[in-house]
Amino acid sequence: MTGLVDRLSWTRDTLLRLLPHSTRPGLRKVGSPTPDSPILLTCNFTLTVRRMMDTLRGHDVWLLVADSHGINVWCAAGGGHLTHHDVIAVVRSSGIAEKVAHRRLILPQLAATGVERRIVEQRTGFEVKWGPARLEDVVAFLDAGSHMKKRWRRMVFPLWERMEMALMWAAPVALIAGLALWALANARVAWIGAGVLGLTIFAIFAALRWLPVEGAKRALTYVGGALLSTALGAGALSLLGALDAVQVGLLALANAIAMGVLSLDVAGTTPWYPSTLNMTKNHFDLELDADKCTGAADCVMVCPRDVLKMKGKERKVEIARPDACLRCGACVVQCPDDALHFRFTDGRLVPAEQIRKTRMNMLGRRTIETE
Amino acid sequence: MSGGTIDALWAQMAEQVAKPGACVLDLGCGTGGLTLACASRGAQVTGLDKDAGMLAVARRKAKENSFEEAPEWLELSVMEMEDVLAPESFDAIVSCLAMSELLPEERAYALRQAKVALRPGGVLLLADEAAPEGGGAHLMWRLRRAPRAALTWLLTQQTTHPMQSLGDDVRRADFSDVREERAKEGDFILVRATREGAS
Repeated sequence: MTGLVDRLSWTRDTLLRLLPHSTRPGLRKVGSPTPDSPILLTCNFTLTVRRMMDTLRGHDVWLLVADSHGINVWCAAGGGHLTHHDVIAVVRSSGIAEKVAHRRLILPQLAATGVERRIVEQRTGFEVKWGPARLEDVVAFLDAGSHMKKRWRRMVFPLWERMEMALMWAAPVALIAGLALWALANARVAWIGAGVLGLTIFAIFAALRWLPVEGAKRALTYVGGALLSTALGAGALSLLGALDAVQVGLLALANAIAMGVLSLDVAGTTPWYPSTLNMTKNHFDLELDADKCTGAADCVMVCPRDVLKMKGKERKVEIARPDACLRCGACVVQCPDDALHFRFTDGRLVPAEQIRKTRMNMLGRRTIETE
Repeated sequence: MSGGTIDALWAQMAEQVAKPGACVLDLGCGTGGLTLACASRGAQVTGLDKDAGMLAVARRKAKENSFEEAPEWLELSVMEMEDVLAPESFDAIVSCLAMSELLPEERAYALRQAKVALRPGGVLLLADEAAPEGGGAHLMWRLRRAPRAALTWLLTQQTTHPMQSLGDDVRRADFSDVREERAKEGDFILVRATREGAS
């Protein structure tokens, strides 16, 4: 019975992963942790905790689940739902300090846009170390004695993960379009429509790295893709007599609307591209004030795209790969010298303190401005 | 999002505790509705919330008014109260729709710390959304609440978590003279308690 319930909730969480799904925050034991076992922290998105427990099987680890409102680490930290306050809260409420003999806490690197490491250290007495950006590298990281390697800081966006993102969009889109087509035509058109739309989304994500996801032309690509897939899918079916011309038209319309909506900000829903909506309307870039930089290298340790590098001789940081920057702000938030900031193309500067205080909303926009 | 009806509740709460010059702490102040209701009665108010974005809105709202004592804002979670608040430094601690956001162990901690931060004789006044008791009434209430909750979530990605045991939690934190009453047509529970000792 629990197996069945578990499988059903996994299915729900997977198909509707666009929405938050919370599991209870607090301390979890993985294996038989001792006072010397490492402490890892993660968010309380059900899929993340589930995957974390599966990945860590066979290891003895304390797992702290912080309250991120059921949102994944990357989105919660960027959106202000996983901050140092949430980390401090779970460290204190879990009583972990009494259970371990050490004072080291491993945080997911992707939490760095929201969690100010130094505040956690001051308030809890735990030394905070950034763990791998990706859950898939956590076991290798632990096996290496919790020593970080450069390649574990870098994000990748492989095909299987693009397919996961495709499913995240395909399930609700197919459901909504299916219901609409059912209301407007009949059940058969609804099933065909849901199938064609779902497959179009999978195709777009499979080909994502070759498609323009930024700039004004992106809508044309998606809507063009929609019309193409409708022509191929529904057109073929109508030749077989499964659909009449009006129904094909309906299908094309549903597909074009769905892809038009998707094209608004597909990029912003991936861990790989900066949010399109945000960047098109008010473009900004990362800037370094080299005079302030003391070479603390906090920024290098949290950048998921390898944008920042240490210049060995000068003991200063440089922005080595500006084009790869996601504008997530992790480096700006963590810099102890306030040496990094954003600048809009119109010249306005967004200081570090504002990046720390403002959060991105669903569309990737930093909505609230401090004085 | 309550459609403005919560203003009356804030005013009702402020009237009970925000005497001119009194030191009042608003736990989980959000965008400062209750904080400003207290400040407008001349109390010296501190608003505490972990959400920097909400505090930015609260600051902006505070600036639009001129208070004798401008409210002070602290960006902290309730789990950080002990780091910043001096013991016995408040005449009253208020909180609206914040206790239900906390885990039971966090709520227990927050209430214990609230007791430490209150002066002897100081008043604790909490308000939170409460689900009606009884199966049928509970179901009707859920249905009635669903559209507004869905709209609120869509616009703000926030929701509230109705609770029932607030009074018991306060008793467990060793407050005395704990009194509960329903407000806003039974949708809200108001809990008032005092920290023992001479005022």
